[in-house]
Amino acid sequence: MSHNDTTFKYSGTVGMQHEEPLLFEHAHEAPESISLPGVDGVISAELSAFSRKQAANIPGLSEPETVRHFVRMSQWNHGIETGFYPLGSCTMKYNPRVNEQVVRLPGLAHIHPDQPEETAQGVLELMYELQGWLGDISGLPHVTLQPAAGAHGELVGLMMIRAALDARGQQHRRKVLVPDSAHGTNPASAALCGMHTVELKSGADGRIDLDELKAHLDDDTAALMMTNPNTAGAFESDIKEICQLVHDAGGLVYGDGANLNALVGIARPGDMGIDCLHINVHKTFSTPHGGGGPGGGPVVVNDLLAPYLPVPRIEKHGDRFTLAYNCDTSVGPVLGTPGQIGVYVRANAYISAFGRQHLHKIAEDAVLNANYILHRLKDRYHVPFEGLCKHECLLTDEIQNKHGVKTLDIAKRLIDLGFHPMTVYFPLIVHGAMLIEPTETESRETLDAFCDAMLEIADACEAGDTEALHEAPLKPFRRRLDETQAARKPVLVWPE
Amino acid sequence: MRFLPHTDTDRTAMLEKIGVSAMSDLFADISPEFHIEQGSLNIADALSEAGIVRKFAQAAEKNRNATNTRYFLGGGTYHHFVPAVVDYIVSRGEFLTAYTPYQPEIAQGTLQALFEFQTMIARLTGMDVSNASMYEAATATAEAALMARRITRKNRVVMAGSVNPRYRSVTSNYLSRLEGEYVEVDIGQFGTDLDSVIASIDDKTACVIVQYPDFYGSVYDLAPLRAACDAHKCLMVVAFSDISAFALIESPGAMGADIAVGSGQSLGIPMGFGGPHLGLFTCKQKYLRQMPGRVCGLTNDADGKRGFVLTLSTREQHIRREKATSNICSNQGLMCTAAATYMALMGDAGLATVARHSAAALQSLVSRLPSHISAATGPHYNETVLSFADSETRNRFLAAARDKDMFAGIPLEQIDTNAEARHLLVATTEMVEADDINDYLAILEVVK
Repeated sequence: MSHNDTTFKYSGTVGMQHEEPLLFEHAHEAPESISLPGVDGVISAELSAFSRKQAANIPGLSEPETVRHFVRMSQWNHGIETGFYPLGSCTMKYNPRVNEQVVRLPGLAHIHPDQPEETAQGVLELMYELQGWLGDISGLPHVTLQPAAGAHGELVGLMMIRAALDARGQQHRRKVLVPDSAHGTNPASAALCGMHTVELKSGADGRIDLDELKAHLDDDTAALMMTNPNTAGAFESDIKEICQLVHDAGGLVYGDGANLNALVGIARPGDMGIDCLHINVHKTFSTPHGGGGPGGGPVVVNDLLAPYLPVPRIEKHGDRFTLAYNCDTSVGPVLGTPGQIGVYVRANAYISAFGRQHLHKIAEDAVLNANYILHRLKDRYHVPFEGLCKHECLLTDEIQNKHGVKTLDIAKRLIDLGFHPMTVYFPLIVHGAMLIEPTETESRETLDAFCDAMLEIADACEAGDTEALHEAPLKPFRRRLDETQAARKPVLVWPE
Repeated sequence: MRFLPHTDTDRTAMLEKIGVSAMSDLFADISPEFHIEQGSLNIADALSEAGIVRKFAQAAEKNRNATNTRYFLGGGTYHHFVPAVVDYIVSRGEFLTAYTPYQPEIAQGTLQALFEFQTMIARLTGMDVSNASMYEAATATAEAALMARRITRKNRVVMAGSVNPRYRSVTSNYLSRLEGEYVEVDIGQFGTDLDSVIASIDDKTACVIVQYPDFYGSVYDLAPLRAACDAHKCLMVVAFSDISAFALIESPGAMGADIAVGSGQSLGIPMGFGGPHLGLFTCKQKYLRQMPGRVCGLTNDADGKRGFVLTLSTREQHIRREKATSNICSNQGLMCTAAATYMALMGDAGLATVARHSAAALQSLVSRLPSHISAATGPHYNETVLSFADSETRNRFLAAARDKDMFAGIPLEQIDTNAEARHLLVATTEMVEADDINDYLAILEVVK
């Protein structure tokens, strides 16, 4: 195997840095397994005929060893609880601990989606309440909690748009306009929905160019997919005209809600003319990212699209909450379960904590923090688009390029200075993008420390002191990893 | 507000630094007509932390749950034992609050856990490789169909009627907007005879999708299907609901699956009213580059030390955009860590015990059924269908069981909408004790 054999010579913790072998390298016989309940009866002969012949070879450690193994590994991770996470378009905010507590209540954790509905009224009520809140926050009153993540929400939203156009007898409308600043999921979702995308070139200010939009709107256009604020952190101030133009051309407007954190409690996408929006609750409503998921991508729509919401729908009839499966106009089922319920329990708790009185403070402090960072860095880093930003600010490496330093170097150097890097090389419309999103849950002290680190990097570039930048990171127990090697001869499982 | 660190003094100072006089100036680029009045949203009043605990405790109180009720419910979601260690590990902030590991130097914990997860899932399913998760089983099944279409460059998909109806309807829905043909083959009530499925394969077929054990719990031989797939150069896709089966019975890989997909919820993840669960996606090595979703791979760092990275990203949406193998971005990452922890804690021996107890409980129940109840014939793992004389008898039984704190099964027509309302889908796990089975049988005796 391609690894350094001395890596795991000793297993202790030295200076709080430690190695930890793979489970498969813990080279001892599996101890007595965990004690398990149940019926230790016989297996029928007819089932025994199908017995597995070769053991799966799952290693099996004792409980103390298992805990130590995973706790040691956890300590190699940066998390929002360990430090600042300024990832643009990812909204890495603090995840309240009380949300983790309530989601583990047995009455919410250990319940089955097919148990009698009258024995699950509590969870359905929480979900129904969340639907109503998301509808009100977005100004798009009809809600599905089915989509499991943002990209899934995009697919579901486009299915509904397609269904609405088909119902108008416009089966030829299959073209989806997507700005070149869009998330990669937008065109991928359109393709999965049997539609094709046409890319719109952004204007000189990074926003949607109305002339470019007009030039591409035609009788085949199904929808415009847009993110507002866009991925450059700028509000699309022409939003009303944009929606009007698309509607006049017979199309609909899909909103990618990845950046809703800038608007929550301040303004509503539905009021601006957006027909359909997905909400990333793992961003705006603080459900933990978990190292890649689970997410949650509810879709909210206006009256026009309401008939097409997927099933099951969570409805209230009299005092009774119900999962409704039958609806002729629905785009159908898109998930095999009622949804990412545990994620939505947390989202409900987050909104409950702010309530109607404080919800707008989410967007206010998020936007304040982003502008504060922008203000502190704008003289030392190139700002491609002038003006106020919303919840995130966009910089590039143009100034540092003159000293041979790239965005990647800056990102990796931040690791040595104690921060998670920002989003890099996205959006694609500027060269060497650095997209910084601080969220509302960071203190001024943290923001200043981050800005100081960024300025230290800028100083080092100007002083020609760039070696540490190219070598970075030097501090973590692993340095830059060879991604080319990983992709050329992929090793995805440990050999037996 | 307790999650916001700024004081009003901070805010004023920061606004001043930015060079604006009021918070509203920061939103001046949003037309005034779109500004809503503060506090005008129809959302409940803010709650204190104590208030939140009270609210959710009251909601939870209204739900019967597996700490006060005996569960014989399956259909894709199972009440297996969740060790305390699993929940502890995934509660740690370093795993819970981390982002997708795109900066591998400071995410080796998540990445190594994913690598271990992929390895163990591949071993348990008998497949060559696993990705780092899908949302859940139904969407994973749909993605398998799409992958088979890409690999074979054919667009006809054949689905056996014994696959979970929800996996079928999601797959059919996904395919309905794309060119191609989708065929569902009826194989008779609770049947396992695949002849009609085999007969419906032709040279235009990209893949055949079966479930093993099937939706009704049957275990059966896939060898004839494998041969038919070879003859028509189509892929065999095997879906599964309860992966714990493969510690006892032959794996999808050993049965010859090209792609195996399903649920990993049984691996230490609570039922949670249906989510978040864990979608699994595995395949043969040679199809790796057509696989959807993220994967973690082994590599070295600049000093030659072993490390892990997300790899093969040229398949994915952030690089390939509309040509990507899937639109999936966020997956079920934390659930992979849960499953890896669970499997490490169990090992072969623990997993085998879970499977043996799950199967033995069903065996014990079915072998002692009173004469007025019939069970589906043939080998079953931990799930089967009981048939009553009529729906009225069945429903009286369900009500009587509930009175004794027992959910005795899922009315089959609740999931399988074509089924008669006299059938009951019953599942067992290691959480079912001998007394529970005795009680179940005793209630059946009374309701005739």
